[in-house]
Amino acid sequence: MSTTRAIINARLVDPASGQDGPGGVLIEDGLIAQTGSELDLDAADEVIDAKGRILAPALIDLRCAKEPALTPDGETVDTLCASAMTGGFGTIVLAPNARSPLDKADGFAGMNRGLAQRGVRVLSACGATQGLAGEQMAEIGLMVRGGAVYAGCGDAPIHDTRLMRRLLSYTSQFDIWLASRPADAHLAQGTVALESDWSARYGLPSEPAVSERIAIERDAALAELSGGKLMIDRLSTAAGLDALRHVRSRDLEIAATVAVAHLTLNEVDAGGLDSAFRMDPPLRSEADRLALVEALVSGEIDAVVSDHRPTPFDDKGEPFALAIAGTLSLETMLGAMLGLVHDGEVELIDALRVMTSGPADLLGLPQGRIAVGAPADLILIDGDKPWVCQPDAFASARGNSAWSGRRFQGRVLQTLVAGDTLYNS
Amino acid sequence: MSRAEFSYDFPHRHLVSVADLNPVDIQIIFERAAHHLAANRTPDKRSEVLRGLTVLNLFFEASTRTQGSFEMAGKRLGADVVNFAMASSSASKGESLSDTARTLAAMKPDIMVVRHSATGAPQFLAERTGLAVVNAGDGMHEHPTQALLDSFTLSQRWDSVGGRRILIVGDILHSRVARSNIGLLNILGAEIRLCAPPTLLPSDVDQWGCDVFHDLDEALKGCDAVMALRQQRERMSGGFVPSEREFFHLFGLTHDRLEAASPDVLVMHPGPMNRGVEIHTKLADDPEMSVILDQVESGVAIRMAILELIGANIRKEAAA
Repeated sequence: MSTTRAIINARLVDPASGQDGPGGVLIEDGLIAQTGSELDLDAADEVIDAKGRILAPALIDLRCAKEPALTPDGETVDTLCASAMTGGFGTIVLAPNARSPLDKADGFAGMNRGLAQRGVRVLSACGATQGLAGEQMAEIGLMVRGGAVYAGCGDAPIHDTRLMRRLLSYTSQFDIWLASRPADAHLAQGTVALESDWSARYGLPSEPAVSERIAIERDAALAELSGGKLMIDRLSTAAGLDALRHVRSRDLEIAATVAVAHLTLNEVDAGGLDSAFRMDPPLRSEADRLALVEALVSGEIDAVVSDHRPTPFDDKGEPFALAIAGTLSLETMLGAMLGLVHDGEVELIDALRVMTSGPADLLGLPQGRIAVGAPADLILIDGDKPWVCQPDAFASARGNSAWSGRRFQGRVLQTLVAGDTLYNS
Repeated sequence: MSRAEFSYDFPHRHLVSVADLNPVDIQIIFERAAHHLAANRTPDKRSEVLRGLTVLNLFFEASTRTQGSFEMAGKRLGADVVNFAMASSSASKGESLSDTARTLAAMKPDIMVVRHSATGAPQFLAERTGLAVVNAGDGMHEHPTQALLDSFTLSQRWDSVGGRRILIVGDILHSRVARSNIGLLNILGAEIRLCAPPTLLPSDVDQWGCDVFHDLDEALKGCDAVMALRQQRERMSGGFVPSEREFFHLFGLTHDRLEAASPDVLVMHPGPMNRGVEIHTKLADDPEMSVILDQVESGVAIRMAILELIGANIRKEAAA
């Protein structure tokens, strides 16, 4: 679209430049043409007065999921995109999981061409092993040619150390991240909770927090050996964070993501064993949550991911220990993160960094920042608007949400991608 | 203290966890169980107190003794008892537990007795159906009627369980019986000891209000009762101890080792029992010490008490 639009009088928050103050943007041809408080408005066809609103880069999510095509009543690309734009996302990345392993090179490029037509920028990662079984490498190179932005291992860690070494080594030639869940395959096998006083009392099969530490130390050692780029896919414990700090003291390319659930919920939220709180990785202790928040503030977390996961039954249909893991979170992620801001746990600019420039920089994307020449992927937020999470009202096709019934403060008013308003509340 | 001093009625319509009970609730259950225990020893066992009510036994895990005990309890109280062997039914046809629950609830039973391999399944079914639910064992979480019958058995021998020293030895990690017993014995004020190899103890067990031992001879000192637990092989992945005979030599109960305990020590086992693994076969059969068969007898009486008390509350609700 060739319309020239301006957004003025906003509180402009741009984590990439560290700017947080009054300002606006001028958008031309889908790109940001000017920023600041003295814009050349003569050329603007439309001027949006955003007084009292926050103007920030549209959010970027490195890890979400739809359901396999043709799943009855399932989350399609359409509903996923609707959910994303409602939640303020301009870019989302489909990550491989057991139901959609994204491990076939055939049709991968075509799939990505289709995904590129959606308004919201939908990118795709690829599965690193065939069927995510952790046994045979998938055709990663062909899928990278077909548009894969990183390679992932799904929810199960790679138990075979030799294969992990080869994956890191092989992916290094494409300069892409290999995302791996930090868990020791044997310690994590069959578990549904953190090993803790809480899970022991309930008799839940549980995984000790050191499982994460062991995996990070192993995978970092292999990254050092092979020269690969290791993305720690959803760090969730203080023990894992200690390991991350330790391995980062060496000169390695290591990125770390955290799921929004682990920053804003803890194991006790599952209280009476509500299946909505069954997650992979499982929810951790409050001490773990606080350590992750602190790491976010200190810049040790590169990206916060939604880990948006639609499941076939809204109530999951089964008791906690048998329930499918995962929660929807695209529509509640900003609200949950703003909760941390309102509670004084993090500054707004830090909360936004891990949802905008942080993930953009990991993938080398031009968006995720308010800079001249960058794509005009932007959101306008009312930082104080109160609302209650009601899964029935989600744009998503499903309703499984760990935040169901939660009260949030702050909501997206408009989501723009390439200068076009995709969502307007 | 007799409960006639208060005006207090048993308030529960579910029994999911022993943590839901207070000492007076437990006393009420024991009073009714004592009544049923005596009646069960006469040829005139049957009452009609649950006449018109349907008890559904939903066992998602195979069980002989617990299911039989609940069935007998229900029938002796005049209820219609229906057994659903869920392991071979809709669960294997891919139906979710929510849907199974709603289907069964539509048949209008009054009480569901539930055993399931997953922690929280009885609570889940209670929430989904609104029916009265009795937990007959959920995963490694709880088995409240077992704990009640264990303490009831002891209370038949002693004036009070409070203040007594009771040892639980064996596979505590995988045991719902241990979790319920620890909860109940804590409520009753007993001194609880646990003894197991570290691989068969939960990680934070020292916070459970128990003294923890790895040496059985040390643990047995001065105990008034000792409860042996079998290794729950069905819930284990991989080996937790090197062999059964090593386990017996380190943690198996024998007459010799019980010399360290109180002279009147009582030996318990929730069954099924592996002779020569957690308990010496002669000890298991020693009528002076073993109350293992008393536990089985108490089991029917306790389950009658629970069904009767819950049944009374269901009738009260219907009348209101």
